[in-house]
Amino acid sequence: MTNFLQQVVSGLASGGIYGSLALALVLIHRSTGVLNFAQGEMATLSAFLCFTLVDHGWSFWPAFGATLVLSFGGGVALHSVLIRPIQRGPLLGIVILTIGLLIAINGFDTWVWGGAAKQFHGPFSTEPITVGGVAFSKQDIGVIAVSLVVVALVGLLFTRTKLGLGLRAAAVNPVEARLVGVRVGAMLAVGWGLAAALGAVAGVLAAPSLFLEPNMMQTVLLYAFAAAVLGGMDSPLGAVLGGLLLGVLLNLAGTYVHWIGGELRLATALAVILAVLLVRPAGLLGRSLVRRA
Amino acid sequence: MTRNLLAVVAALAALALAGFAAAATTATPGVTPTTIAIGSSGPLTGEAAAAAGVLRGADAYFKYVNARGGVYGRKISFTYLDDAYDPSKTVENVRRLVQQDNVFALFSLVGTNGNLAVRDFVNAAGVPQVFSAAGATTFGRDYAKYPWTIGYLPPYAEEGELYAKHILATNAKKAKVAVLYQSDDYGKDILGGFRRALGAKARTMIVQTVGYDPTSSDVQSQVAQLKASGANTFMVFAFGKFAIQAFVYASKLGWKPQIYVNDVASASSIMALMPRATAEGAISILWGKDPATPKFKKDPGVALAAKIVRRYVPGGNPSDGFLVAGMAEAYSFVDALKAAGKNLTRKGLMNAVTHMNEASNPFLVPGVKVHTTPTFRFPISAVQLQRWHSGHWEPFGGVVSARP
Amino acid sequence: MKVKLAGFGLVALALAVLPFPLSEFRTVQLATVGAYFIAILGLDVLTGHSGQISLGHGAFMAVGGYTTAILMADHGVRDVWTIPIAAAVAGAIGLAAGIPALRLSGLYLALATFGIAVVLPTILKKFDGFTGGSTGITLFGKPAQTGHGVGVWGLTNNQWLYALTWTVGAACFLLAWWLLASRFGRSLRAIRDSELAAAASGVNRAAYKVGAFGVSAAFAGVAGSLYAINVAYVSPDTFPIQLSLTLLVGAVVGLYGSIWGALLGALLIQFLSDLVGLVPHVDTKQAGPTTLVFGLVLVALMLLLPLVLRLASAITDRGYSRGR
Repeated sequence: MTNFLQQVVSGLASGGIYGSLALALVLIHRSTGVLNFAQGEMATLSAFLCFTLVDHGWSFWPAFGATLVLSFGGGVALHSVLIRPIQRGPLLGIVILTIGLLIAINGFDTWVWGGAAKQFHGPFSTEPITVGGVAFSKQDIGVIAVSLVVVALVGLLFTRTKLGLGLRAAAVNPVEARLVGVRVGAMLAVGWGLAAALGAVAGVLAAPSLFLEPNMMQTVLLYAFAAAVLGGMDSPLGAVLGGLLLGVLLNLAGTYVHWIGGELRLATALAVILAVLLVRPAGLLGRSLVRRA
Repeated sequence: MTRNLLAVVAALAALALAGFAAAATTATPGVTPTTIAIGSSGPLTGEAAAAAGVLRGADAYFKYVNARGGVYGRKISFTYLDDAYDPSKTVENVRRLVQQDNVFALFSLVGTNGNLAVRDFVNAAGVPQVFSAAGATTFGRDYAKYPWTIGYLPPYAEEGELYAKHILATNAKKAKVAVLYQSDDYGKDILGGFRRALGAKARTMIVQTVGYDPTSSDVQSQVAQLKASGANTFMVFAFGKFAIQAFVYASKLGWKPQIYVNDVASASSIMALMPRATAEGAISILWGKDPATPKFKKDPGVALAAKIVRRYVPGGNPSDGFLVAGMAEAYSFVDALKAAGKNLTRKGLMNAVTHMNEASNPFLVPGVKVHTTPTFRFPISAVQLQRWHSGHWEPFGGVVSARP
Repeated sequence: MKVKLAGFGLVALALAVLPFPLSEFRTVQLATVGAYFIAILGLDVLTGHSGQISLGHGAFMAVGGYTTAILMADHGVRDVWTIPIAAAVAGAIGLAAGIPALRLSGLYLALATFGIAVVLPTILKKFDGFTGGSTGITLFGKPAQTGHGVGVWGLTNNQWLYALTWTVGAACFLLAWWLLASRFGRSLRAIRDSELAAAASGVNRAAYKVGAFGVSAAFAGVAGSLYAINVAYVSPDTFPIQLSLTLLVGAVVGLYGSIWGALLGALLIQFLSDLVGLVPHVDTKQAGPTTLVFGLVLVALMLLLPLVLRLASAITDRGYSRGR
């Protein structure tokens, strides 16, 4: 029983990371209808930036704040310069562009920071706290808490602010939004900026436990996609809940189904993606979309 | 369309021209009156990047030897390529080195899978595959089928045996063992040797074993599982960041077992990244001098290594055990080149490499000698156990045999 | 038309002559270019002509490669005969994959195929009794490997395999040309451009889309098989997600639909790192710069492409519709 609870708790902690990245993916999908395959690498780059600042003597929270701002700016720039020109073109082109970004950013990270794993000390301590035989650290709680807080903030932004209203309008119906004065181009850029900032959160949350290196988020990206699909590609809350659920599911499957063990974790995540897409594409919390031919 | 066509023709023409620049073969490939060309492949990038220090260390030592006139007036030209620990790339790199660059020999290819992948090709082509930086037993054992191949590292299986023997000697009654191992040949070799040496006790002592794939992102779930088995002894047969994670997660979960960590993850530079309390008391083996170990602080071999690093490895860390291990290999290789004589041939090199009796390698732990015969092809077959205490390694117990 | 024939002849001649001045290593490299060429042809059919995005074509190559490797290593089948078997196995899996793919729209199909390509290496490692696990399967020196080419017309083993690869490549090229010019190709393009219109015209969309998957997978299977035969080694990491992405790049560089471009794309895939090495100050011993440049090339291509794309698709469609 203790092992079960332990796996659940660890699963929630990993799931928090998957959910944070999934949130970024969902945000981009909602605002521009694109799956950003480079999201993971962007998160890694943000984590490297934070690491460099801390390495130069900054203390953690100011470094983190600066990273968020830089990431936001990077996301806005990315959209304006690279995505906007081809946004109305064929889907394949946008997909390949994001893949090109994935490859380019990965190469850039390797070139600048090298391939070896670096240790990154997060703001939370890793001292274990044991409750009823189940051990978790402040870091684990921190990860889960931050993910939930972030999704709450994003939710508030979307539902309670004028900016959020504009973002939603631009995503749902850009033509009509323009008619009522919403600067659609700017809204889309802000959407990408926000997503980049969210990715930065995911990257900085992940780095202490996964170790900072250029390939850090490569597998996490697939888990994040699985989480987003599971929760519903258009639902921010779904993304985070999907992440938590997926984290627990993967841990339990790996522990109790011997055949899966530690080696087929990725395959399990893929199975989740395929199952959801084929059976209930809207995911848990998403809306079903009817496609008009 | 025409543009595409022209581009294709231009590309093919460029290739043909480039091809003409391919090196012509001499009597013994890779050997001229002034140079010896040797090649290698290793994980310069990726999870295993720390291990590439072996190649950099060897390169530095060769440069040192070259500065002193080389071997019989020939300077050693060492080319090493990146394979990111992917054996498919190792195959490509080795083909390039052998067929395009015409190297004399391959030296210190890093990684069990990479070495296995190229072994057939290399032996069919009659190219020496010398002092591979991999410890799978097959490299020393299967010389009848693969006469051109010889390893260097102490065999992984024997390393596993030594840990088993240590457990039997110190904690036979109470030890409950959990094992984390990399699920490929290297990890399974160590585990296999470990199990064999425990003999009948293996069944009762080993309470849980869990494998991981090197492409995973982390091993948190595996470590949690191992802790839940109630073990008080933790064997870390893992590599690079996974070894570090094993310690970190054990610490996070509040688990304090007696840890045994395998040689390839035991460099002080890596151990320093582990949480102190968890790493305290961990046991491993050593065969090369680790510069960060206090026992070797005043050692002339370590001083020489530091001098070489400062001179020939830009940005290198003189305390990096991998660099010193590479120098040990390079020292042995230079010894072999000398023994092979002025009239250097591939056969001559293999002859030298299978008749080694090196007593004075400055980079190896005192008592560990490189010794080979045509029928005993394990250059390093003795090691010493060491314990991590207060942030550094302390060797104990004298040199023990790791002969298969 | 005359220009096309002359061009075809010139390229064929160049390919035939090329291995002789070059080293064995370059010969094998050019042979793998041939394998990539065949895979890109398949991807052209699927993505270029039927509009279904596949980010996982490397997985079909893996199926072909492993089929060949297992047949040769464990069952002593001669390499040449494994090629059609690999095509059949990969094609069958492609057909099977095409059916659920019908339910997935563009983006989600891309995601699903991406996921499959990422996960396949781990599955290959898991079933190590069958696939040899992470150690892989070495075909070098196995009696089943074509040794009988040695001595024929004075060719070395690698040269013989090169000739084999490009002969199969030429055959695939002609097959693809014929398919795409036929009713099959026209129907695919109709579906790509407007599913609704195609349905209204009586095209059985499902059958053709699934068929496209099967055909393209078969091509990739042949490519994987030839790759394995030439390089004489497969491991789970031989066909990683990067391969699938580079195949797609190759198809795009060829302005997907143009078969000549497939050749250019295949050359680019194989020799990119050499090309990057020509740039001053870039150290190709480090993987970073090469990867970075590759990614930037992709991004740049995608930005420039829309300008050229409309023109290109008009040309290719016109070329095919005239029944050449």
